[in-house]
Amino acid sequence: MLQVILDGEASSEQKEYFKTHMDLCMPCFKGYELDMAIKQLVQSKCCGGDAPSDLVQQIRSQISQKIS
Amino acid sequence: MIEETPQIHYSDKEKNEIFHGEFMPHINSMYNFAYRLTLDGDDAKDLVQDTYLKAFRFIESFQRGTNAKAWLFRILKNSFINDYRKKSKEPNKVDYQEVESYYNSEDVDRQITPDLRVEALKDMIGDEISNALNSLDVDFRTVIILCDLEGFKYEEMAKILDIPIGTVRSRLHRARQLLKEKLSTYAKSMGYKSTTL
Repeated sequence: MLQVILDGEASSEQKEYFKTHMDLCMPCFKGYELDMAIKQLVQSKCCGGDAPSDLVQQIRSQISQKIS
Repeated sequence: MIEETPQIHYSDKEKNEIFHGEFMPHINSMYNFAYRLTLDGDDAKDLVQDTYLKAFRFIESFQRGTNAKAWLFRILKNSFINDYRKKSKEPNKVDYQEVESYYNSEDVDRQITPDLRVEALKDMIGDEISNALNSLDVDFRTVIILCDLEGFKYEEMAKILDIPIGTVRSRLHRARQLLKEKLSTYAKSMGYKSTTL
């Protein structure tokens, strides 16, 4: 349940239920908060930045040879 | 998968447009995915290059306007399994039987949560989370990358990985649990008191 909320895959009924439930249930609220914090941390810290430019160049030149 | 899809004829100009307009914009995500799978810069480059060449070779199986990113990720994942995984030093295979029965057990939502608090996460710099992710078994690592990093939906993940949605969910659940355990160990080593949630 928590996971579908976290990943934006919950139905509107599930969302509604979870919202009401979370107001009353501290462990669920804490659990959700922690999971969301980890998810956001992964998003912000593990993206890796740009692909090496030599790789990009190599692919582009190989493809242009195939097309021409 | 590639052989099954209906072929569409594209002119060279169209192929060029698709390749540069729809495939190349995903190069950074593709490289990051390849790097996280292989954990090696050179292997990641080779894997991405192979994937893009394959994508071009099979471009007529790609339908314009459909999800190019998911299509590319699927090719990359398959190339990794077929060509790289064999030679990589990744010995541990996950016992999915065990994972599934774990997930289907009644304890799944009442399991012991590793001692970890949001405050502890705030002090983690990039390396800890990145290392924790990399230390997970490749199948667990993969679902976290696809979901949390790349924002794929469960249905897209199921297609990329050739597994049922239920398995996507259970694997993701287990992966997050394992990641939490790793982060909890880091947090402890940084001196955070273990506090149960």
